Order: sequence, then C-alpha cells, then structure tokens
Amino acid sequence: MSARVVLESLPYLLRGTLVTVGLSLAVIAVGTALGLVLGVLRFVPWRRVGTAIGWAVELARAVPLLLLMFFIFFGLPALGIRLPTFPAAVLAMSLWMTVNTAEVVRGGIQSISAGQFEAARSLGLGWLPTMRHVIVPQAVRRMIPPFVGLCTILIKDTSLAAIIGVFELTRAAQETIERTLRSFEIYMVAAAIYFLICFPLTQLARRAEARLQRPS
Amino acid sequence: MTGGPTAYSFEWSAIWRGLPYLLQGAGLTILISAQAMVLAVALGLVLAALTQVRGGVARPLVRAYVEVFRNTPLLIQIFIVYFGLPQLGLRLAPFASGLVALVVYAAAYNAEIFRAGLEAVPKGQHEAARSIGLGAWQAMRFVIVPQAIRIAFPALGNNLVSLVKNSSLVSTIGMVELMFVANDISFNNFRTFEIYGTTAGLYILLVMLLTRALHLAERRMARVR
Repeated sequence: MSARVVLESLPYLLRGTLVTVGLSLAVIAVGTALGLVLGVLRFVPWRRVGTAIGWAVELARAVPLLLLMFFIFFGLPALGIRLPTFPAAVLAMSLWMTVNTAEVVRGGIQSISAGQFEAARSLGLGWLPTMRHVIVPQAVRRMIPPFVGLCTILIKDTSLAAIIGVFELTRAAQETIERTLRSFEIYMVAAAIYFLICFPLTQLARRAEARLQRPS
Repeated sequence: MTGGPTAYSFEWSAIWRGLPYLLQGAGLTILISAQAMVLAVALGLVLAALTQVRGGVARPLVRAYVEVFRNTPLLIQIFIVYFGLPQLGLRLAPFASGLVALVVYAAAYNAEIFRAGLEAVPKGQHEAARSIGLGAWQAMRFVIVPQAIRIAFPALGNNLVSLVKNSSLVSTIGMVELMFVANDISFNNFRTFEIYGTTAGLYILLVMLLTRALHLAERRMARVR
C-alpha cells in the first residue's frame, strides 16, 4: 500500500532534508556576505568600477542556475579543476545567491534619498563610513522582504543539485522512487517537506513587507 | 583521459559547429516560454480577480493555491506532472508537462502580484467609477484593472524574465530546448567551455531582449493618458 511506502521512506527523505537545509544555510551565508559587499561596491566613487560591477551582476543574473551548475561541474574539469558534486553545487549556488543578493542590496541603497549621502559626506565622513554607518543601516530595513523572498527561492532551487547527483531531498526522493515506483506519492511528500520549510519564510517576508508599508 | 593538468585549448570552431543546434534549442525555449507567459498572465489575472470577490470560498482557495505553488520547488512540480500523474492515468508529453508546470508555477507568482496591484488602486477610483454610472464589471474592466496592471508591471516583468530562465528545468524531462541541446552537444564532443559559454550568451540575449521589450511596453503604457 502506498501509505506504508510513504511511512517507510520517510526516514530516508528526512536524511535528504538535512542535507537540503545544510546546503541552503551554507549558500545563504556565503551569498549574503559576498552579495552585500558586491552590492555596496556598485556605489563606489569611481563611476567606471561601479558600472562594471553593475554589468557583471546583470549578466550573471541572466544565466539560469542550472546552466551555472553544469558549467562548474562539467566545464571546470576542462581547466584541470575537478570538483566533487557537493562543492560544485555550493559554488554554483553561492555565485547565484551573491549576484541576486547584490541586486537586492542595490535596490535597498537606491531607495535611500541622496540627501542622506550628501549630508553624511558634508559632515566629513568618508565614503566607507558613510555607507557603513548611515546608508546601509537605513537600507537594510527595506532589503529584508525581498531578501527573505530570495532565500525561499534558493531553498527551492537547491533541488537542482539533485540533477548533478548531490544527495539531498529531491535526490532522496528520486532514489526512493527507483526502489518503490511510487513517484506520485513520494514527490508529493518531498513537496510537502519543502513547503514546511519555505512557508514560514514567505509569511515572514509578507509580514516584513506589511510593516514597511506602515510609517515607522 | 589521465590526470594532471590538461591543457584545454579553446576552439572557436566548436562554437560554429554547435551554434545551429543551439539556435534551434533556443527557438523551442522561446516557444515554450512565450506560451507559458501568455497562459500564466491570464491565469494569474483570473486568480487575482477571484480574490476580489467578497465572501465565499474563492479567496481562501486562491490563497491556498498561491502558497502551495510558491513554496514548493518547480523541479518537483515538473516531476509530479511528468512522472507522477501517469500513475493516476494522466500521461502528458514532455512539452505539455513542462508547459503545465511552468504555467501553474508562474501563475501563482503573477496572481500575488496582480492582487497587490488591484489592492493598491485607491478605493475612491472604484466609487468614482460607479458614481458616474459604470456597472461593477465596467468599473473593473475600464478603471481598476488598467491601473492595477500599470502598478503591477515592473514586478510582473521580473516574473516573466524568471520564467524564461526557469524553462531550462524542462530539459530534465527530455524536452529538447536550449539547455538540453547544450548538454547533448557538450557530452558528445567535450567542448564544455565553448558550448556552455555560447549557451549562457544566448540566455543573456533572450533575457535582454525581453527586458527591453518590457521596458518599451511600460513606457508606452505610461504615455496612454
């Protein structure tokens, strides 16, 4: 019976879930740190540098994550860099998370009025202190809803790692289906597990967004 | 092939040989994305309109739909349609499976955006439309929806761009679009750098053309009044 199949496969799926969570956390940590730096660097006083970073971010964002992953997993060995599946997936997803976070950061910073920047500079603050103590702290509030949304997209997209053979939730589901041939039930259970992880985050984003609409 | 640093030499000719096939794949990517866009926008509008009906079950049902499809991976949705539904007696070809999954996924995002757009139109607009004699449907059709679409447009554009990139996932169920062709070629001739590089270039081109078109459409809409 399929209910028994589902119950029996649950421990295996949960093992995959642990990897999905670990993978997501690692990528979010790396991507957030690098994305914040890259996003702020778009506003350096040297116009050309800022423009070049902006273009690089735009180009990288236009490439599907699946292609980035194939590129890193199958393409890099041609240069003599051979990565196992897990690090390859982490690298591809961190790159994706970095450029998308940089875009969120850009949006947040641009929503702060230019007067804030000019006021801070005219007080004698340098570019970096202005960013660090005046602009970014104000912008973070506005970055939170889109950033949380980005995190849920990333968690869902860690499923792509299964395609290059990383053992995580989706891969665990695929392997279970190879044994049991109950694809409908098992994928539904996997979907339910993803839902349980992502739904609280979407609600959080929704609430943060609503709070932004109210004047503080 | 043995270990050690391989001296990989970039071959332009691999690009010229692969390009005709990649372009064919890109054609199918455009085809499935364009169809999915039209259907996902239509479905998203209908769902958003249903949320404006006061009372009844429509609103909670749409909300549930949006949350379920936004909070589960597209890849799993594709697998459920292609591998899971046949178990229930519904067998769809790769193209149809991919299209269905892309549409229901993108429509969930679109519905949420349109709903926010509809709710952002000031209440006075509706009252004013009704007080000059327009019916409920006419007020919606000629006053509220056009403004809502304009408000929702930038976010909608982002969704449509994502849809083009997401269409690459359909390669996993054997639909021969751009991503599938790229894998097919590079697994055969091992010119991974040239082929994936060209493929990235084609996706970038598609995304830029779409962004440009959306930008023009947005400017045009702003000019109407």
